Amino acid sequence: MKGVGRAVSGVLLAAGWVAMLPAGGAELDEVRRRGELVWAADQEGGGPHVYPDPADPRTLAGFEVEFAALLANELGVRPRFQQGQWDRLPLLLGQSVDCVINGIELTPERRRDYHCSRPYFGYALQLIGRRDAPPAAAADVAGTGPSGAWRIGVLSGSAAESEMRGLVARGAAQAEVVGYDGTLDSLEQVRTGVLDAALMDDCIFTFYADRFASLRAVDRPFAGGLYTVLSARDTPLLAAAIDEAIGRLIADGRLKSLYDRWDLAGRQQMLLLRDATEIPAARQRSLLELVSQTLPLLLASAGMTVLLSCAAFPLAIVVGLAVAIGRMYGPAWLRPLLTGYVEVLRGTPLMLQLYAIFFLLPKIGLALPALVAAIAGLALNYSAYESEIYRAGLKAVPPGQFEAALALGLSKWQALRYVLVPQAVRVVMPPVTSDFIALFKDTSVCSAITVIELTKRYSVLALTTGRIVELAVVTALLYLAMSWPLALLSRWFERRLERPAGGRP
Amino acid sequence: MIGIESLSKLRSGVAVLDRVSLAGPAAAVTALVGPSGSGKTTLLRCLNGLETFEAGAITIAGHRLTPGPHAAEVLVQLRRDVGMVFQQFNLFPHLSVLDNVALAPRLVGRLAGAEARRRAGALLERVGLSSFTAARPGTLSGGQQQRVAIARALAMQPRVMLFDEPTSALDPGMTREVLDVIVGLARAGQTMVVVTHDHAFAKQAANWVVELAEGRVARQGTAAEVL
Repeated sequence: MKGVGRAVSGVLLAAGWVAMLPAGGAELDEVRRRGELVWAADQEGGGPHVYPDPADPRTLAGFEVEFAALLANELGVRPRFQQGQWDRLPLLLGQSVDCVINGIELTPERRRDYHCSRPYFGYALQLIGRRDAPPAAAADVAGTGPSGAWRIGVLSGSAAESEMRGLVARGAAQAEVVGYDGTLDSLEQVRTGVLDAALMDDCIFTFYADRFASLRAVDRPFAGGLYTVLSARDTPLLAAAIDEAIGRLIADGRLKSLYDRWDLAGRQQMLLLRDATEIPAARQRSLLELVSQTLPLLLASAGMTVLLSCAAFPLAIVVGLAVAIGRMYGPAWLRPLLTGYVEVLRGTPLMLQLYAIFFLLPKIGLALPALVAAIAGLALNYSAYESEIYRAGLKAVPPGQFEAALALGLSKWQALRYVLVPQAVRVVMPPVTSDFIALFKDTSVCSAITVIELTKRYSVLALTTGRIVELAVVTALLYLAMSWPLALLSRWFERRLERPAGGRP
Repeated sequence: MIGIESLSKLRSGVAVLDRVSLAGPAAAVTALVGPSGSGKTTLLRCLNGLETFEAGAITIAGHRLTPGPHAAEVLVQLRRDVGMVFQQFNLFPHLSVLDNVALAPRLVGRLAGAEARRRAGALLERVGLSSFTAARPGTLSGGQQQRVAIARALAMQPRVMLFDEPTSALDPGMTREVLDVIVGLARAGQTMVVVTHDHAFAKQAANWVVELAEGRVARQGTAAEVL
C-alpha cells in the first residue's frame, strides 16, 4: 500500500510541476508583464551595429540599438541590452535573454536550431586589403599570395568565416583563414601586415574606413546574406510578434529612414528585404555523423593544445629558474629589475599580455606569427610563477649547503649548478607539475589571438552545429585523455619524493 | 703555516673578535676553546674567508687575507688549500657518499671523473666507510656522516684543515669514532685548527690551545698550561 501511495503522490507532484511550467506562448505575456525586451549583442563587435557611443561610452550607439528600440516599442515594452560574446550570443537565449540582435546571419543551421525572424538587413561580404599591397582583385585569392597562401582574417563564427573556409575547401581560394574575436582585430592585423586581407560585412568597413586610411576595399563585395533576430525555439508567440513588428517597421518606412540615417542605403535595403527568399532549415545530423565530422577537427585542435603546453612550459621553467637565481644571487642592480618583471607578469592578465605581444609588437615592426606569440606569451606569464616557486625551493635548501660548497672551493655558480639547484628542483617538483596542468588549461586563452585550440574549436563547432551537449562530452573526453597522463606523471613524481631519503639520526 | 695578527671583527658595531693574535707554533694542531659566544667559530670562519674582518691580517697556507671583502679568485685559491668540516656535516643529500667526496676534485681540482672517484674511494676507506660509497648521506648515522664530511674536505689535499665543533651534533656514543679519525690525521702531521668544547680531546691532540672569552684571547699556550 505504501508503495502505491508513493507512486500516486509522485504522479500528483509531476502533474503539479507540469501545471507550473509556462504554457507555450506565455513568454510574450512574460515580456509584457516585465515591461522589457531583453536583447543580447556584443559591443566589442563594433560599429555600425552596436558599439559604445564615443561621446558617452556609458551608452550604446549603432543601428541595431535603434532597431531594438523600435522593435521593443512595437511590442509595447522598453528595450534592455545584455552584453555577451558574439559567437556565444545564442547560448543566452532562454536564460535571461529574449532575443539576439547583432548581425546574426540567416543560415540553415540557425533556422533549424532557433526561431529566426524575417530578415531586417541585407549584407554583402567585402574583402579588405592594404592600398599598397596585393590582392588587387578578389579573384586573386584563387592563386597564391606574395608568400604562399594568403593570410585572411575573419570574425570567428561569422558568415565571412564559413564563406572563406568554403572557398578554400572548394579550391577557389588558397588561403589560411584566421579567426578573431573582434572585427577590428583583423583590420588592425591587415594594417600591420600580419594579414594580407580581411573578409567582413561591407557595412563594417564602410563605417570604419576613415580610421583605417591605409586600407581599401578590394573589388566589389561578393556573396552576402541577411540578418535575422534570433529567439528560442520554445517561444513561438514572441517570435511571431517580432515578425509582425518587423513587417510594420518595413511597411511604414521607419526601417528605411533608420538605415538612411546610418548611411546604409535604405532604399536598396528595402528592395533586398522585399526579394528575400526563405532559407530552408538544415537537416539534423545523427550522432555518428556528427562525431565523425567533428572529431578530426577536435583532434587537430587537441594537438594544438598539447603543442602550446609542451613548447611553452619548458621555456617557462628555464626562464623562471634564471629569474629566481638572478633575484637571489645576481648583482644588486639586477634584482629590482627581476622583481619588477615578476610582479608585472603576475599582476596583469595573461589575455592582455597575449594582446600586447600579438597586436602591439607589430606596431614597432616585430610581427610574430600567432603560434609563436602564443607560446612566448604563455612562457613569459608562467615564468613569473615558476620563478617564485624556484625561489621558495632555493630558500628551502639549508644555508649550510651553500657554505659547504664554497668551503670546498666551488665558485658561486658551481655551487648553484651542482648543489643548490638540484636540491631545489626536488622540492619544487609537485607544485611545478600542478602548474603544468594549469598551463595546459590556460592555453584556451590563446584563442584571443587567433590560435585555435580545443576549447575554441569546441565553441565554434557547438555553435555551427547546434549540438552543444554532445560535443561538450566529446571535448571533455579529449581533455581527460590528455590530462590523465599528466596526473599520473605528477603522482609518480610525488611517490619518488616520498620515498624515504632517510632523516638524520 | 697559520698566522693571525691582531684580528678584529665587528658585527652591528660590536666587536666579536678583538685584536686576536696567535702566538703558537705555525704548523701544529691548534685547539680553540672557550664558552659559547666567545668568537671561536667566527675566528675559524675568518680563516677560510666565510667571514670578513675589519682589522688585522691572516696568513694561512701561503695566502694572505686582509680586511674587507675578499676577491672571488683569492677565495677559490685559498679554499683549495684549506678544508673545512662543519658542526652539522652539511653533506649534499642529493649525491651519493662517493659523489659527495668526489665533487670538489672533479669541479675544482679538474680531475677526470674516474680519477676523482678513485681518490674519493681511497679516502672513504681511510675513514672506514668503504662499504657505504653508494649510500645517500641521509641513511648514515651522524658519526658516519661526519667521517664522510672529513673525507670530503681531505679530497682536495688541503694543507690546513678547519674543524668547527665536529662532535657537538653527535650522540656521545659516536664522538669517539670521529675523534679517532681527527687524532689519526693529527698524528700523520696534518696542520689543523679545531674549535672544541672537549678538553680531553684537546689535551690528547692539540699542541697549542687558545682560549677565547668575549672575542679576546684569554689565555694561550700548550694544553698543559691552559687546561
